[in-house]
Amino acid sequence: MRGFWPLFKRELFAFFVTPLAWVLVCVFLLVQGLHFFVLVEQLSAQVVAGGDMSPVSAFFGNTVLLYLILFLLVPAMTMRLFAEERRSGTAEGLLTAPVSTAAVVLAKYLSVLVVYVIMWAPTSLYLVILRRTGALDLHVALASYLGVLLVGAAYLSLGLLMSAMTKSQFLSLVLTAMVILVLFLLGVGELVARPGTTIHAVCTHVSVWAAMSDFSSGIVDSRRLVFYGTLTVVPLYFTVRVVDAWRWG
Amino acid sequence: MIVVQDLVKRYGARLAVRGLSFSVEKGEIVGFLGPNGAGKSTTLRVVAGYLAPTSGTVKVAGIDVEADSLAARERVGYMPETVPLYPEMRVVEYLDFRAELKGVARSKRSGRVDDVLHKARLVEVANVVIGSLSKGYRQRVGLADALVADPPLLVLDEPTAGLDPNQIREVREVIAGLRGTHTVLLSTHILSEVEASCGRAVVIAKGKLVAEGTLEELGELRRASGLRALVDGASADVERALATVRSSLPKMTNEPVISAKEGLVEVVLSWDDASSPRLRDAQKIVAKALVDVGSGLVEIAPLRGRLEDVFAELTRAPKALPDEAEAEAEAEREGES
Repeated sequence: MRGFWPLFKRELFAFFVTPLAWVLVCVFLLVQGLHFFVLVEQLSAQVVAGGDMSPVSAFFGNTVLLYLILFLLVPAMTMRLFAEERRSGTAEGLLTAPVSTAAVVLAKYLSVLVVYVIMWAPTSLYLVILRRTGALDLHVALASYLGVLLVGAAYLSLGLLMSAMTKSQFLSLVLTAMVILVLFLLGVGELVARPGTTIHAVCTHVSVWAAMSDFSSGIVDSRRLVFYGTLTVVPLYFTVRVVDAWRWG
Repeated sequence: MIVVQDLVKRYGARLAVRGLSFSVEKGEIVGFLGPNGAGKSTTLRVVAGYLAPTSGTVKVAGIDVEADSLAARERVGYMPETVPLYPEMRVVEYLDFRAELKGVARSKRSGRVDDVLHKARLVEVANVVIGSLSKGYRQRVGLADALVADPPLLVLDEPTAGLDPNQIREVREVIAGLRGTHTVLLSTHILSEVEASCGRAVVIAKGKLVAEGTLEELGELRRASGLRALVDGASADVERALATVRSSLPKMTNEPVISAKEGLVEVVLSWDDASSPRLRDAQKIVAKALVDVGSGLVEIAPLRGRLEDVFAELTRAPKALPDEAEAEAEAEREGES
């Protein structure tokens, strides 16, 4: 893992000295803030709240906004990671330094994951607000954040791979968005396909909807952990291979 | 320090380097010469560990760049041709990052960064964001980057490209300052660069070695050869002497040139490469002939080819040998299919 630490620091530095990260964080918090506001408005207007509709599960689970925001943000966060280094040629300086490819990939990945976590961090304030006004199941909240982390980790890993495969940031953005969209549409298949068929089973397994509604109800299913763990590790492995393959230019 | 053996690099169907071998000894400053597209950058990238060779081996300080890439890269300070830098960083931040990346110990880092800032004359821009630097300064940041971990070997790809004459002189001074302590391989297509900085040159064309040696050796490679003599005497005497010379030397394909110069007579004799005699023999015969006719011989010396002429001659598209032409056509066909 030679070279991991300086690269990790530089990646974080690069994120926060360029306007891109701030724009992304602002958009993200704006959308999430509105989302929360609307949610609280709705729930407080209802005289009798639905039994299984806690604010937390509504915020993380039964909403299209979470996926929309991931669909918009993740490709923009990962697009420059490798594509920019190759286009501008800095990859040459990077890969002629005595650093291992795995360290380069991991440093880039973890830095973007940290940015993702930083983006979500302010939303924990909503939990504080909810807690002041009513009961809050901490387990459910933690499970929800675990879900957000797992889904994000997998998408970011896929985005990193797409960025390593092309010299164009734009192409990287489009490819990542397409992969996320396909995964999302497979999830929709759960609602469309006839229950009991193989397609339905596959779709349910892949569905980010189903996953998030589980997590936001406090259910941590080991199958989900394995699925998103795999979806994180496999693209990272292939990213290392792709970066190594640049040398055959 | 560098041993390149039978290096071949293929990009798809195109052969960029075709069986190149050369070596650089410890402490040498070697110029890597060739016209654009000769495969200079590709070769240097393989030496620096950025590209993998298609076949052949490259050893740096005895370490195979493929077998133990990290150890090899540790010993090389590489400055890429385009000097890619992160535009959002300040110069001092960038150099500190590069030093850390190259494994310079924390305790030595600020000392090393300070040192290269001075060496590359970057002190006044140390806190400027790289994106707003001029080309000349960026080039110097690249040089400072190559030097920052104090590697024993420096590989510089066109270090003075795009600089103004003053900046070129400054960069050459920095390189000259490395003489003796570092081994340097620098590529260029500018000949005066080699004459100014290098003790030896490796010349390639179309991915192949065409010549290698000290500058004097390369100068002698010029195939057309000749003599130049300065004589204190009448030009009639000189003509008489030349008549003797004509009878005892191979036929001169070029007519001797006799001209007056600063009160003396200058004689230039030259031969085409095919009929060229051994210059030392020719020199003796001509000197004797001139002295025999009673003219005062002031000076006689072989005509040395200027490096430009040698370079032009060596790298001019050679008439391809039949089998080579065939191989090339085949490679092209492969590319099309």
